[in-house]
Amino acid sequence: MLFRGQDTSLFRMGVGFRCGRTGRFLMRLVLGGLFVFAGTAKIYDPATFAIELERYELLPWKICAAAADYIPWVEFLAGLCLFLKSFERGALLLITLMLSVFTLALASALVRGLNIDCGCFGHTFVSTGTILPILRNLVLLLLAGILWIKYR
Amino acid sequence: MMSVRQALLILLAALVPAGLSALVHPHRPPWSEETLAPGEEKLKTVLTWGSAVLWVDARSQLEYEAEHVPGSLLLNLEAWDSLFPRFLDQWSPGRKIVVYCSSRSCEMSHEVAARLEQNGISPVYVLKGGWEEWKAARTAN
Repeated sequence: MLFRGQDTSLFRMGVGFRCGRTGRFLMRLVLGGLFVFAGTAKIYDPATFAIELERYELLPWKICAAAADYIPWVEFLAGLCLFLKSFERGALLLITLMLSVFTLALASALVRGLNIDCGCFGHTFVSTGTILPILRNLVLLLLAGILWIKYR
Repeated sequence: MMSVRQALLILLAALVPAGLSALVHPHRPPWSEETLAPGEEKLKTVLTWGSAVLWVDARSQLEYEAEHVPGSLLLNLEAWDSLFPRFLDQWSPGRKIVVYCSSRSCEMSHEVAARLEQNGISPVYVLKGGWEEWKAARTAN
């Protein structure tokens, strides 16, 4: 039953969405932390990351090589900037875009029946397949979405 | 708009270390040609080894029966116990083993190569590009 003046907003009604500064910090910690970790793992060995990218059969080798040098640094900096007040939103925008692109690439590999590893964390984890990383990315996108809503 | 401006600044900032990495990183990917993963070998190189090679097909039995590299042996993880003794009959110490699966994105050849090495078989190589690469080269000739 709703009472007069009660806030019916989804984000106020659900306990899961009722997150104050601590909740928001924890979400940034998970998102930013994962991106810093993923970036660092790949910065160490861009050649292997280029091979992982090539296995998606989406891009020619030269673009894979360039992306393997560039993407890990974008991940690392975006993850780090999520903790900086003056770059927080830009970092969240980049993280949301990257997660969307990575999820689409994984889904396309899954649809085409490619038996590949995600390559998301360099060679830190092996044999992750594509389904688990897609699910993980969807959870992370949900976190990013909640953070976006909190900014509005 | 503020988010876009901040995002662009982060993208620009990332160009600096990425550029340095492309120039001086000891594990930077080469621009001129594709990198070989550990244990991988190109078809061009394998063909120079001639008959010294024992080809191993790591795909499924159905795929193998449809088409395979002439003289290759079927050896996959699904039927390892029954196929490995047949492989041992053909193998001789020191003979180069080249394992292939469907394409450049399949992992099965790497898994079979690792299993062979665990069983003391060496040297074992994985054909980069797999069956697709072989077929493309055969069609080109």
